[in-house]
Amino acid sequence: MLFSSISFLYYFFPAVLILYFAVPKMLKNTVLLLTSLAFYAWGEPKYVILMIISVICGYVCGLLIEKYREKNAAKLTLLASCVISLGMLGYFKYADFFITNFNTVTRLSISLLKLALPIGISFYTFQILSYTVDVYRGIVPAQRNPINLAAYVTMFPQLIAGPIVRYSDVARQLDSRTHSVDKAAEGVRRFIFGLSKKIFIANILGELAGLFLYSKQQSVVFCWIYAAAYSLQIYFDFSGYSDMAVGLGKILGFDFMENFNYPYISSSITEFWRRWHISLGSWFRDYVYIPLGGNRVSKLKWFRNIFVVWMLTGFWHGAAWNFIVWGLYFAFFLILEKLYLHKFLSKYKAVGHFYVLLAVMVSFVIFGAPNFRLAFDCIKGMFGLAGLPLITAETAYYLRSYAVILVIAVIGATPLPKKLYTMAEKKFAAVTAVFQPVVIAVLFIAATAYLVDGSFNPFLYFRF
Amino acid sequence: MKYNIKNLASIITAGAIISAFSLWSVFGTKSDFSESERRVLAKFPEANAETVLSGRFMSDFETYALDHFPMRDTFRGIKSASVLGVFRQSETNGLYVQDGYLAKAEKQLSDEMLNHAAERFQYIYDTFLKDTETNLYFSIVPDKHYFLSKESNRLAVDYERLVSEMRNKTEYMEYIDIFPLLSIEDYYRTDTHWRQENITDVAVTIGKAMGVNPDAEYVTLELEKEFYGVYYGQLALPVKPDTLYYLNNTILDECIVTSYNTGLPVKKSIYDMEKAQGRDPYEMFLCGADPLITIENPNAKTEKELVVFRDSFGSSLAPLLVEEYSKITLVDIRYMQSAAIGSFVEFYNQDVLFLYSTLILNNSLGMK
Repeated sequence: MLFSSISFLYYFFPAVLILYFAVPKMLKNTVLLLTSLAFYAWGEPKYVILMIISVICGYVCGLLIEKYREKNAAKLTLLASCVISLGMLGYFKYADFFITNFNTVTRLSISLLKLALPIGISFYTFQILSYTVDVYRGIVPAQRNPINLAAYVTMFPQLIAGPIVRYSDVARQLDSRTHSVDKAAEGVRRFIFGLSKKIFIANILGELAGLFLYSKQQSVVFCWIYAAAYSLQIYFDFSGYSDMAVGLGKILGFDFMENFNYPYISSSITEFWRRWHISLGSWFRDYVYIPLGGNRVSKLKWFRNIFVVWMLTGFWHGAAWNFIVWGLYFAFFLILEKLYLHKFLSKYKAVGHFYVLLAVMVSFVIFGAPNFRLAFDCIKGMFGLAGLPLITAETAYYLRSYAVILVIAVIGATPLPKKLYTMAEKKFAAVTAVFQPVVIAVLFIAATAYLVDGSFNPFLYFRF
Repeated sequence: MKYNIKNLASIITAGAIISAFSLWSVFGTKSDFSESERRVLAKFPEANAETVLSGRFMSDFETYALDHFPMRDTFRGIKSASVLGVFRQSETNGLYVQDGYLAKAEKQLSDEMLNHAAERFQYIYDTFLKDTETNLYFSIVPDKHYFLSKESNRLAVDYERLVSEMRNKTEYMEYIDIFPLLSIEDYYRTDTHWRQENITDVAVTIGKAMGVNPDAEYVTLELEKEFYGVYYGQLALPVKPDTLYYLNNTILDECIVTSYNTGLPVKKSIYDMEKAQGRDPYEMFLCGADPLITIENPNAKTEKELVVFRDSFGSSLAPLLVEEYSKITLVDIRYMQSAAIGSFVEFYNQDVLFLYSTLILNNSLGMK
């Protein structure tokens, strides 16, 4: 079930709120667990069992790791937890990728498994891993209440698209959390702004990106429009979903970590990845990069660590070569910055911004293209190497048609609107007090209108 | 304190919207049919182990929830207004409003579709017409976007190429150019079609090209019911309805119209007043969608006969050619297999007119 759907907004969510706030405190996690399972089953009725098995494995492993702390059995249990979790992820997400490549290399024809990817498996697998590793490291005690652990893993606000909430961040909140009008209002605002980002910007830019892919009159300008539109689409799509998750969490009394912090204002790729999908970046840093030695090793090993982490980051996004190349592409820039560009980019911020936007747009062309050839053609087209005309009537038409939304998206990707609102809130508190509920009502009604009008509203990060 | 009130107001606002529409969605009365979209709405899906485990129940429920959402048309109108008015996009769901006209933006010329249409015509020619003494004519009706795109620099199919491609592929027919006779005022503001009262000159031009002279006098009658065309329903914007006029005279009154919609001959009339009161009043012209219909004119000036292969534009034009022909047969190969034509129509020395709109030629997959 999508947050941006009528069935979620007007059927599921009201029912959850009634149940959640009707039951006493001790039963809230049970309600959260059951409704989360229902939420998941709505989209993946068969794979709900798989998720329950993953939770049980995580729960048992956590208890065993704690029981055998400082003993080899703890290490073995952690290893078992990793093998089970990653094994499931590998089987369901990556098996066909490996079989296809194996067949290509060996010229064999082993049949593909053709399994449907369980929604959110990449997210909940990483959450379970963070839990067992943190218990092993002694950062958190094992959760003795299976309902609490299951509620954490399956919690519907962050189940299918993150952020990757660490157990250590919410362990205390699972036992005791506060619900207040202020917090809930913040959650409502956050949710509606996230919903608006998704519906009014990401979906519309998605249409524009789609028009490019089907265009028979491509041009240099259209290639750039596509790269910009897709880069903005994926940002507003994913950050909008993260906003909705954080907002829903607040309504239910949780504080999830922020997942985005205006990545497009970065002046280096290093900074970009501190601002983009923060929960994933920090997960790889803490559970892969640092255990590999981080930067406290020889230069060669350091570079190896960076390449491993970024190859895995790319691979996490999808079982295809373009995702791996996408990850390695960023590894290349990160190493380049560490070796040569760091000082220059710190000094010349404007150049840095330009460089980041260019590098990121090219990266998302690789990321979003259905195949390498299309990505390569588009990149060649962007730089005038594909023999395309500078602009066509079609390009001019779509540029005119989507100009307003592109401008809104560009401005919306910077902190400017937030700054202006904060200023206005301080200067005209009484006006904003009236203005805010009106904006909420208008956005909610308009978002509903878009949902009612459209029957197909896919979410980009579902495939991860 | 002010912030608390603001927060409370935010929660109450969102809560009120969610509660109101949730309750209305669950307990409100449901309709089976959408008048504005002219389609049957989804029914509540069947819930059993198979549909639930396969996920079909959930996806069907999603459709059901969308179809039966309260004030659905109002919400669709809000969306259209937001897309066209706030975000200033050129179109919404492929439709736009310009100078009070609602139109479909036909942007990409499809060679595949033109080839399909031409291939169907060629099949009919090779199978039924080639060795007969029939006189073959072909005419293309421009859609509204042809006129509106010129005025506003909107992206449009290359109409010149469309016509020239179709002419090249149908060289066995004489082409009758009616583009110069038409302007946007000759079309309904809210519908796809042309206005019958404005196309008498088109009928004369086509008639003369076929060697007849349809110059009858008509009485212009007004349909009392307001005419909300197909684009009105699709856009859901609050625009004024059209007024539908139709032309009549004693010759048309005395014609014998026979529909073969059900396979058996059923007597009808040129103007179906029952359909005029229905969901799509344009269907009053020769009963709307019909695979095969004949008009017999006992008062015809000549013994000539005409066969028209046509889409819905032909329904309002054919009555204006009636006076010159003793019999007109209208064939719509979107609702009838081309191969079956021979079972219903015998070709000898009739005039045969292929009359198709650019919309249908460029989206011809429905031609069988």
